[in-house]
Amino acid sequence: MRTDDHRDWKLSLGAYALGDLPPDERAAVAAHLEGCEECRAELRSLEGVAALLPLADPARIEQPTARPPADLGARIEAQIAAESAREGRARKRRRLRLGFGGAIAAAAVAAALAIAILPGSSGESSPAQKVDFASLPKGVSIDATLEPHAFGTEIEMYVSGVRSGTLCRVFLRDAKGRTYSAGSFRYRWGEDSHAVLSSALDLSQAKVIGVHAGDRTFMAPVDQATALVGGAGIDAT
Amino acid sequence: MGALTRERDVREAYAAHSGELYGFAVRSLGDAGLAEEAVQETFLRAWRAGDRFDPEIGSLRTWLFAILRNVVIDLGRARAARPRVAEGGVEPSVEPLEQALLAWQVEEAMRRIGEDHRKVLLETHFRARPYSEVAEELGVPEGTIKSRVYYGLRALRVALEEMGYED
Ligand SMILES: [Zn+2]
Repeated sequence: MRTDDHRDWKLSLGAYALGDLPPDERAAVAAHLEGCEECRAELRSLEGVAALLPLADPARIEQPTARPPADLGARIEAQIAAESAREGRARKRRRLRLGFGGAIAAAAVAAALAIAILPGSSGESSPAQKVDFASLPKGVSIDATLEPHAFGTEIEMYVSGVRSGTLCRVFLRDAKGRTYSAGSFRYRWGEDSHAVLSSALDLSQAKVIGVHAGDRTFMAPVDQATALVGGAGIDAT
Repeated sequence: MGALTRERDVREAYAAHSGELYGFAVRSLGDAGLAEEAVQETFLRAWRAGDRFDPEIGSLRTWLFAILRNVVIDLGRARAARPRVAEGGVEPSVEPLEQALLAWQVEEAMRRIGEDHRKVLLETHFRARPYSEVAEELGVPEGTIKSRVYYGLRALRVALEEMGYED
């Protein structure tokens, strides 16, 4: 057997595997297969594929490959970022509870009493506030936790669902409508999705928290009655 | 890539595999909207279970398809449970879905091989036209059709293996 012949036989194996050869050619290929291990191995490999062909629908083969909508990836990213942010907060709350335990509870009771007795007293003694931004566009999620400090207010902010790279400028407003900047951050999908900022305004004086995200502004009232300390709500009234 | 625990991992996984997952979802659900839902749910489940993905055990692609397979079953059930005049009304069972995945893989592999090879396999095998007739139409010798069938099957095998097929 010459090499050229062998190559010719090999080229017939596709048609052989698919059962397309006329009887005389088929018999000739079968005779060659008897004596050629290499062609037998090649045939086995082709037969595996040939057996799958009937599953395919020729009309579907000729249709262009279906492509997912261009924004599907971004929507999935937003949803995962939102879940990630929720998990991050849960972790932080757990950490607070574990780290401070009873001391936090005692401080919270003291703070609650302070508010009850002296409404509008120094922010330093107010408990932390959790703020929920309601009525946001679909897919956008923002919330913030505000903590009183001697310098003013620390704001831990979670944003998701806006375009990656969006500049977010955060501010607080007091009862007279005066705005106090809390700084800015860029929302980046795929990075830690929360930012810690600070404003000079005392938390007890804050009436509104807002964020300019790109060309949109979202605001939420700072409800002095919904305190969040160590994961437990404290009723200050 | 190790465990699928960072948001960035999910983004990379989406870039690499969303096209295939979506193509299969469209084929098995027969609806672009449901297919979107299925792909979204697949990546969410993958992310939530990301620490359980072990590249030592199997490829990310195989893992994602296994999740999608379950999502498609769930969506099919939900659709079947909706009160409307059923088209057959049969709950999708595991068997046809595995077959649908294989069928989609063969169709996708056929789309990936060269135009010449695809054309010849389509005409001779799927449309059962004689080699001589196809040879005349394409203006090539009949032997060329035969060798294109051979190389076409080999290319198809490679394309299927890239999609995780093994006999
Ligand atoms: Zn041989």
